[in-house]
Amino acid sequence: MSAPEPMPAAPTALLQTHDVSIRFGGVQALRDVNIQINEWEIVGIIGPNGAGKTTLFNCITGFYAPTSGRVHYRGKDVTDLPVHQRTNLGMGRTFQNVGLVKSSTAGENLKTAQHLEVDYDPIAGIFGSPRTFEVEQHTTDRARAILDLMGLAHLESTRVQGLPYGVLKRLELAAVLATDPDVLLLDEPGSGMGPEEAEELGDLLLKLREEFELTIVMIDHHVPLVTRISDYMYCLNFGEVLTEGLPDDVRRHPEVVRAYLGDDPDEVH
Amino acid sequence: MAVDDKELTPRDTEAFTPTTAGRVGRAGAAALIAWLVLCYPTNILSPFTVGGVEANAASEAIIFAVIGLSLNVLIGYVGTISLGHQAFVGIGAFTSAYVVTEMRQEFFIAALIAALVGAAQAALLGAVSLRVTGLYFGLITLSYGIMTQESIFQIESLTGGTAGQPAPRPIGFESDFRYYYLCLIVLALVVFLDWRLIASKGGRALLALRENPRVAATWGINVKAYTVLGFAISGLFAGLGGALLAHRDTNVVANPFGLNLALVFILMTVIGGLRNRAGVVVGAAFFALLRNGELLEILHVDSLFARDPINLTAEVMPLVLGPILLLLTITLFPGGFGQLTNAVGRWLRGGRFRFVKADKEVQITDVRA
Repeated sequence: MSAPEPMPAAPTALLQTHDVSIRFGGVQALRDVNIQINEWEIVGIIGPNGAGKTTLFNCITGFYAPTSGRVHYRGKDVTDLPVHQRTNLGMGRTFQNVGLVKSSTAGENLKTAQHLEVDYDPIAGIFGSPRTFEVEQHTTDRARAILDLMGLAHLESTRVQGLPYGVLKRLELAAVLATDPDVLLLDEPGSGMGPEEAEELGDLLLKLREEFELTIVMIDHHVPLVTRISDYMYCLNFGEVLTEGLPDDVRRHPEVVRAYLGDDPDEVH
Repeated sequence: MAVDDKELTPRDTEAFTPTTAGRVGRAGAAALIAWLVLCYPTNILSPFTVGGVEANAASEAIIFAVIGLSLNVLIGYVGTISLGHQAFVGIGAFTSAYVVTEMRQEFFIAALIAALVGAAQAALLGAVSLRVTGLYFGLITLSYGIMTQESIFQIESLTGGTAGQPAPRPIGFESDFRYYYLCLIVLALVVFLDWRLIASKGGRALLALRENPRVAATWGINVKAYTVLGFAISGLFAGLGGALLAHRDTNVVANPFGLNLALVFILMTVIGGLRNRAGVVVGAAFFALLRNGELLEILHVDSLFARDPINLTAEVMPLVLGPILLLLTITLFPGGFGQLTNAVGRWLRGGRFRFVKADKEVQITDVRA
């Protein structure tokens, strides 16, 4: 772990779900899910495949409207806001299958991701008002700076299509950072990574939290990674919160072990 | 002429300096292209003499380029299709003619109003596209085009009915030769707008939402608003193209704005090379000159197809040659004309003449309905 940071005196809830349920036809994908993410925390969400983790992300970020329940962000009810407005409030997310514009270059992707930061009207941009040229220069510089920070500067003018998976994951993270988020929702950032790479990713996330003053929520199957960097952890199973608590407690919780490995507890690790 | 399938080789990226002869050749080629565009159609610095008919044909090529760039916004950037683009253009043509003839306004005011009306009607279709997508949206645009020609363009008080609406040329551009330059000026304007669109936040938003609307939304892009904006820009360009077409002919009638024209517009844009400005301009000009018979005449093959029993007139040639070229574009030459213009452009700027993989832009998924 990095140097301990002074925690806020009383943790303030940044993101909360209240009894969020969603049903697709006959499938109850989420049932009365209550989670709370405090400012500056790294919160891990684990659970077997099909537990509803990504569905929960989709409810939080606005892709799905929950059948019942509310989502609060900074104390404000955001349940009915469209996705792009939640981004404007400070939510940033990544996707399991890498959310990038594949036919564009890495640099263009990071410029596109800065959409809300680019301070001019799109119509003014089309008519080529002089100020847009200035702002564009700033946008390009910022894209370059973020790529540099993530060790991807050499890819600025490389087309994204065909880059290795690990690089894509890193680039996606860079793009989300370009949206200037307050909370990062990461959907399996460590998928496809070996133990060493996962270790590096953990360090990177801790570093990014310092640098960008982030709160992080992450879904991952890489339990060692999640337990190492998380301050708090939830385990979902069959659309419900199975248990929650400090990472080590959740990991050792018999129900969690059973959900992951079946009924035989001797099989653990 | 097969396309090189290899990735960029060191040979492509290494610094390359042309020889003196190479420089002279490049300068000569650039001068020839400039002469062909700026001088030949208007008999300036030209050993040839062309008439008003040829100048008008050249104007049509430039106007089609404007329309091609309009459709490129829709297919290439927004990622949808319009089988009713002839209505976009026709609405611009009738609006401009109406404003000049019935409201007694200047051409430039009329063209501006035509552009705005074009944008408004396209935005309306854009709103529809938010609800209906894919093949069924294609069907809606198809019906829209036919409905417009059959009903709106027949309203006598607006369009003059079968007699048509007179559309006199603006003062200073009355001759066919001068009018050609007016068309070039408008094309330059549209090229500028298209360049700024793609180099600014609006264009980036469109390219992102075409490929992945979910990612675009998480980056803070209002997918619905930008889709409508994309339609409006396409309609703006189409309205300008329509205005130019109206005053070139000096009289607008509903008859030419049929489905046949819509198909030519799509063919010329896709074969020109989606998202490739120069390619679309060249492709559109090629199809315009093929359609008005000028190309066949220059090649002295105009009488070859027009005789019994085939009786292929120039007007249907784009629909004969177009599908063949479309097949070649999708299978072998996915950058269309753009792949050629990119290679020529690189060569003119002092590089090697090579077809490179990075130029293969059009994907088969682009041509989905």
